[in-house]
Amino acid sequence: MSFMEFKNICKKYENAERNSVTDFNLTIEEKEFIAFVGPSGCGKSTTLRMVAGFEEITSGDLFIDGKRVNETAPKDRGIAMVFQNYALYPHMTVEKNIGYGLRNMKIPEAEVKKKVDWAIRILGLEEFRTRKPKNLSGGQRQRVALGRAIVKNQKLFLMDEPLSNLDAKLRVSMRNEISKLHRELGTTTIYVTHDQVEAMTMADRIVIMKDGVIQQAGAPMELYENPVNKFVAGFIGSPQMNFYQVSVSGNEMTFSDGRKIRLSMEAAARLKGRDGQMIMGIRGEDIKLDSDSCNAHEPDQQKAVVENTEIMGNENNLYFTFGGSLTVARVSKDEVSRIGDEIRFVFLPEKMHFFDKNTEERI
Amino acid sequence: MLTKKQKGINWILTAILLVMSLFFLFPVVWMLANSFKPDAAITADMNTAAAFIPPMPGGGFFENYISILTNTNFLRYMANTLFYAAILIVCGVVVNGLAGYALAKIQFPFRERWVLLILLLQIVPMETILTIHFLMIAKVGLLNTVVGYILPMIVNPFNIFLFRQVFMNLPDDVYEAAQLDFCSPLKYFFTMVLPMSKTVVATVSVFTFLNVWNDYLWPSLVFTSSNLLTAQIGLNSITSNENTTMGQTLAVITMVTIPVIIIYSLFSKQIVEGVTSTGSKEG
Amino acid sequence: MKKRSSTLLGMAFFGPALVLLTIFLFVPMALTLAFSFTDYFALNPDLTHFVGLENYIKIFKDDLFVRSFVNTVCFVLIILPCQGIGALGLALLINKVTHCKKYFKVAFFVPVVMSLAVVSTLWMQIYSPEGILNTLLGNLGISAQPFIHSAKQALPSIAIMSVWQGVGYQMIIFLGGLQAINPGLYEAAEMDHASEWQKFKDITLPELKPLCVFVFITVTIGAFRMIVQPMVMTGGGPSHSTYTMVYNIYETGTVNWEIGLASTMAIVFAIFVMALTIIQSILTRDR
Repeated sequence: MSFMEFKNICKKYENAERNSVTDFNLTIEEKEFIAFVGPSGCGKSTTLRMVAGFEEITSGDLFIDGKRVNETAPKDRGIAMVFQNYALYPHMTVEKNIGYGLRNMKIPEAEVKKKVDWAIRILGLEEFRTRKPKNLSGGQRQRVALGRAIVKNQKLFLMDEPLSNLDAKLRVSMRNEISKLHRELGTTTIYVTHDQVEAMTMADRIVIMKDGVIQQAGAPMELYENPVNKFVAGFIGSPQMNFYQVSVSGNEMTFSDGRKIRLSMEAAARLKGRDGQMIMGIRGEDIKLDSDSCNAHEPDQQKAVVENTEIMGNENNLYFTFGGSLTVARVSKDEVSRIGDEIRFVFLPEKMHFFDKNTEERI
Repeated sequence: MLTKKQKGINWILTAILLVMSLFFLFPVVWMLANSFKPDAAITADMNTAAAFIPPMPGGGFFENYISILTNTNFLRYMANTLFYAAILIVCGVVVNGLAGYALAKIQFPFRERWVLLILLLQIVPMETILTIHFLMIAKVGLLNTVVGYILPMIVNPFNIFLFRQVFMNLPDDVYEAAQLDFCSPLKYFFTMVLPMSKTVVATVSVFTFLNVWNDYLWPSLVFTSSNLLTAQIGLNSITSNENTTMGQTLAVITMVTIPVIIIYSLFSKQIVEGVTSTGSKEG
Repeated sequence: MKKRSSTLLGMAFFGPALVLLTIFLFVPMALTLAFSFTDYFALNPDLTHFVGLENYIKIFKDDLFVRSFVNTVCFVLIILPCQGIGALGLALLINKVTHCKKYFKVAFFVPVVMSLAVVSTLWMQIYSPEGILNTLLGNLGISAQPFIHSAKQALPSIAIMSVWQGVGYQMIIFLGGLQAINPGLYEAAEMDHASEWQKFKDITLPELKPLCVFVFITVTIGAFRMIVQPMVMTGGGPSHSTYTMVYNIYETGTVNWEIGLASTMAIVFAIFVMALTIIQSILTRDR
C-alpha cells in the first residue's frame, strides 16, 4: 500500500453552496515531494488542512501510513507543518521555538538539546538562537519554522505557501534549501503553492487543482509537455502558452484573422474526423524566428510586427498580434528585435496542442 | 512656528493654568504637609503660609505615621487588601480570560448570543444587585469571610469583553502550530495566549487592583471582623475613632494612597491608554 | 468529531465564567425583579406575599425616597455641568499650552488616583468649621461657612468635592480626543482665514461631539450612583439633605432588611441608569 492515500475526499463548508474540494483521489509514495498548485480558491490549502486535521473531511477517506486518519487529532497524525505566516511563538527564542514540540513530547532534555542544535546548524541559525521572532528577517523566520518542523522527526511534512511572504531573491534561495533538506531527510512532503515555478522546480510530482477538482497530476515535465486541458496548459509555463481560435479542415487550420497554417502529419492524424472550430495552443519557445534553422516549409512562414518587447538578458520575449490573439515568442538574446520591426517566424508543427472548443480538453 | 502674539497668549494661558493647578492641589498639599505635624502645630499654622509647608525633618517628624502603624491594625488592613487584590487578579485573569478566549476563538453553540449578553450586562449598574449579593452571602454563611468577599467579584463582563476583543486578533496558525507541537488547549492558553497578550493582561490586572484597593461599599458590607478589613474600611474605622488626631488622620489617608500612586506611576501608560480608549470606543 | 470536541472545549473554557455570571449576575437580577413585587422582609421571610405593584406606588409616596431621588438629581445637576465643562475647558487649555504640559496633566489627575473614602475623609477636615477652607475664606473677609454641617450647604459641598475628584479623569479622555483630531483640519482652516473661535466652533466641537456625549452621560451615571461620599462625610444628613438613591437602597436592604422595598428602588434606579446608557448609544450611533 502507498504511504498516503486520498479516497474520494470532499469538503463542503457549512452554508456553502458548492464543494470546496470535490472527489479528490491521489496516492503518494514515501519520500515523494508533491506540490499542490492552482489559483487562489482552488482548494489546495483546504486539502492540505484536511490532511493536517484542521479542517473536517466532509466525505471520503484519508489514509496515512496505512491508517485511516479522518477522525485522528492533528497531533496524532504524525505530521509537521510549515505555515504561510510562519506561526512562530512570538515570546519564545529561536531555540525555544524549535524545541517546544520536543519538550511537549517529554523527550529527555539532553536529546532535545542535541536535536535543536542539529536543526539550528543545518539551517544556519547559529547566531540567532537566542533571538525572538520579531528580531528576525522573513527568511530567518522561515528557517525557524522549518527547524520546528524537522526536529520532530515526523513522517510527513506539510508546507502551506511557505515562501509567499519572502522577496523574489530570497524565494529562489529558500527554494533550493527546502529541496536540499528534502533530499537529505527524505521526508514525504506536500507543498502547497500558487506559484507554478516553485512547483516545477521543487516537486517530484505536481497536482494541479481548479475549483476544488484535480485537473492533472504528474511529473513536472509531463504536465509541461502533455497538459490534459487548456487550464493546465495555460497555468504551467511562463510566459503563458499562446492560444488561438482555429478552424481545422483536413490538414490545414485557419486562424480567426484568415491566416492558414498546415498541420504536421502526426497532428493531422490525431485530428482526423474532428474538423471544425477548436483551440490551438503553442508555447513561446516553440515559435521560431526565421533566422533559426528549422525544417519549416517556406509557405508556413508568417509575418508580424513587434508591438512590445521584454528584454530578460538571457532571452527576450517579443509580443505581436497574430491570428487574432496577442502572441508572445521567446527568442534567444542574439535575436534583437525592436518595437515596430517586422519579423518572420514559424510555429513548430509538432509542438502544437489542440483543445476542444467547448470542454477545453486536449484532443 | 508660533507668532509673537501666539507666544504671548501661550504664556498667559500657562500662567492661568499654573494658578489654577495650585488652587486645585491645595487640599493634597495641605494633607501631605500637615500629616507630619502634631495637631497643635496644624491649628497654629492654619492661618499662615506654613499650613502648606511640612515641618523641618527632625525628631517626631514621622510621629503620626509611627503611632498609626504601631497603635492600630492599619498595616494588617493594607496587607489584607494586597492579598485580596492578588487573588482577584489571578482568578479574574483566568476566569475572564478563559471566557474571553472561548468567545473569541472557539466555536460552540450560541457563542454570538453570549457575546451580546455579556455586552448588555455592562449597562446594568452593580448597585442594583448589591442587596441581593449581601443577602446571598449572608444566607450561605459567608459573611465576614474572604471567600464571601471574593466570589462575587471574580467575574467581570467588561473584562471578558476586553479579553475577547484582544484575543480575536491572535493569529489562528500559531494555535495550529502549537497543536502539532503537542500543546493542549489549556496549556496553549496559559503558555501562549496570555504571554502573547501581555498588554491586556497588565491592563486588566491594574484595573482590578485599583478596583479592589479603592472599593468601599462591598467590603463594608461583608467584613465586620477587624482583622479582615480592607484598607479603605480600616481607614474609616481608624479616622472615626475619637482618639485619632487630625494629623494621624492625614497620615492614614496619605498611606492608603501611596500604593495607588506607585501603581499609577508604574503603569501610567496602560492606565491613560485604558482611560482614553474607553472614551474613543464608546464615543 | 471536531465539532463536538470544540463545543466541549468552548463550554469548558466559558464554563467557570458562566457559572459565576449565573450565580452573581443573572440570578440576583432575576431575584431583584421578583422581590420588587413582594413584601419580602429578610428577618421574617416566611411571611412574604406577592403584592403586585404596591411597592412601586409606595416608594413614590414615600417622602424619604422622593427626597433621595431629588437629592440625586440635584447632585447630577451640579456635577454634570461643572465636571463636564470643567474637564473640556482644562483639556482645551492644556492642549493649547506648550510648557509644563506634563505637570498639568498629572496635577489635575492626582485626585482621580485617590479613593472615595480618602477624598471624603480629607475634605471633612477641609470643610470643618475651623478648617483650612474657612481660614482661607476668613482671610478674604468671608465669614465662616458650615459646609457639610448644614442642610443647605452639605449637598453642594459634596458635589463640588466630587467634581474636584473626578474632573481629571474626563480631562484625560478629552485630551485623547483632541489629540486624535487630524491637524490637517486646522491647517486647512488657517488657509481659509478662520479665527480661533471659528476653528473651535467649526472643527474642535463637531469632532469632539461624540466624545462629549459619552463624557456627559458617564458623568451623569457616576453622579447618579453617589453613595460613599455622603456615607463617610454626613451619613446622609443633616436631615437627609445628602441622602441619595443608592444610599436609600443600601439602608433599606442591608440595614432594615426590607428586601422587597429595596429591590423596587433598585429596579427604578436601574431603569434610570440603563435609560441613560441607551440614550448615549442612540446619540452616538451615527458615527
